[in-house]
Amino acid sequence: MKPILAVDHITKRFGGLVAVNDVSFDLQEGEILGLIGPNGAGKTTLVSLISGTIAPSTGKVVFQGAPIAHLPAFRRSRLGIGRTFQLMKPFLGLNVLDNVAVGALFGTGGGRSQLHRARDEAAYWLEFVGLDHRAQQRADELGGPDRKRLELAKALAMNPRLLLLDEVMAGLHHGEIDEVVTVIQKLRSRGISVLLIEHVMKAIQSLSDRVLVLHHGNKIAEGPPQAVLSDPRVVDAYLGSRHK
Amino acid sequence: MKRAIAWLALSATVVMLPLVPWIAPPALIQFGTTTLLIATLAQAWNIIGGYTGYASFGNSVFYGIGGYGTAIAMVQFDLPFGVGILLGGALAVLFALLLGLPVLRLRGHYFAIATLALAEAMAGVVSNLDIAGRNIGLILPLRKDDVLFYELSLALLALATLIVYWISRSRFGFGLIAIREDEDAAAVMGVNTTLFKSLAFMLAGFLSALAGGVHAYWITFIDPVSAFDITLNVMMIIMAIFGGAGTVLGPLVGAVLLASISEVLATEISAMASLFFGLVIVVAVIFMPRGLADLARRFRSLGWRYFRENLRLHRL
Repeated sequence: MKPILAVDHITKRFGGLVAVNDVSFDLQEGEILGLIGPNGAGKTTLVSLISGTIAPSTGKVVFQGAPIAHLPAFRRSRLGIGRTFQLMKPFLGLNVLDNVAVGALFGTGGGRSQLHRARDEAAYWLEFVGLDHRAQQRADELGGPDRKRLELAKALAMNPRLLLLDEVMAGLHHGEIDEVVTVIQKLRSRGISVLLIEHVMKAIQSLSDRVLVLHHGNKIAEGPPQAVLSDPRVVDAYLGSRHK
Repeated sequence: MKRAIAWLALSATVVMLPLVPWIAPPALIQFGTTTLLIATLAQAWNIIGGYTGYASFGNSVFYGIGGYGTAIAMVQFDLPFGVGILLGGALAVLFALLLGLPVLRLRGHYFAIATLALAEAMAGVVSNLDIAGRNIGLILPLRKDDVLFYELSLALLALATLIVYWISRSRFGFGLIAIREDEDAAAVMGVNTTLFKSLAFMLAGFLSALAGGVHAYWITFIDPVSAFDITLNVMMIIMAIFGGAGTVLGPLVGAVLLASISEVLATEISAMASLFFGLVIVVAVIFMPRGLADLARRFRSLGWRYFRENLRLHRL
């Protein structure tokens, strides 16, 4: 197997703070890699380094065999990297359908040129995430859970090869979480690789092929979900060492 | 049915507008020309300010460059008007490109402030250029044909509106709207934000320059103070927002309405006109901050509550 994404000794400093410290990992084609860690561990920063919204201080990012760390965000998305934002970023002035159509117009390979084709595709992805009944509403009329779905549909409409999901289940109740888990399973069956940041351990356990743990910007564990989640260092990071 | 009536009214207006000079008195033709030109400016501003979300206070500079480009070409090089206005347009595009590279990196208020000083700076520069007639200005060849200038202005407004209509339903326009709503999200979805912002700025600059060129030839005179007038920039922004920034017809309707109100006030109560005009603006901003287009869209479902809700949003 060859990795679709290879992150090689990447470091990001914000002034004196080292948000991500010398992290390396591979993500295989079609794999779902869980990324967990306490708040402030550097998970979102790592996603931003891969998607290109921030530049690394040092280190390499290789996507489908080509280095991409020097590319601006829009070029990386055209190569096939889609992401969602933990702090959701809907286009508030557009309706839900057109929000998603932006992804189809500009995504992988430069997207579609015709608006009606993009809207057709957007409608498909809205149905895929269960938001089709809201297609004509303005994005600012959606509540939290539906905004999460919208965020997911926008990224999917880009037709990505690699999807970076930053806490798409946060704030959802059990039934809604199960729906999103089903959506991600369907993505896996289509061969889309996923980097999944999540605090919902049930979802991490059921979806991830492997799990990677960040703590204070450092990678402290990597491996199969069961082994990683029972690793004493990981338990310490989440609960503190005094729990023993 | 209502849609059909609206379309009928719109088509009738489009057919009627070119015929106005043949039935209207000279004063009305002149008012019409002025209004059409400022409506073109409001529509051009709509591209960068309304659709892209970059509130430019520097568009009047493009207007001035267009005017000076035309004047210099005609006066100093004896070129025909058609060549002169295109030269002015090209200069404005070049200026928008060079200026845009640094200032389009600024967001929100910082962009507005950076463009705010431009008009003054350009007036200073042009005042010291021999080719532009220094601070005295240039006198263009006289062409006394108000009908021609009216039709030219109308054609310009039509061109600007067609371009905005295309933007509103094109991939390019969706990219601009995505930039306006959230630039980071637009970038990770594949929008080349730097390119799109620059193109929008150049397009707005080009259309503004054409308006400046027509105006200079019509008035047959151009000087630094009138060419780089910051109040003109304020006017086009107010008109675009009053009508509805980021909509196809909003800026056009806003410009025609406000220009008419201003004209009526000026003739009826000349001394207090600007005071009342200011009052109109203040009331409009308080009760319909998103412009006439938003009012037209939501008044039907909300009724008078629309105004009450806007009032409440201001926390007055």
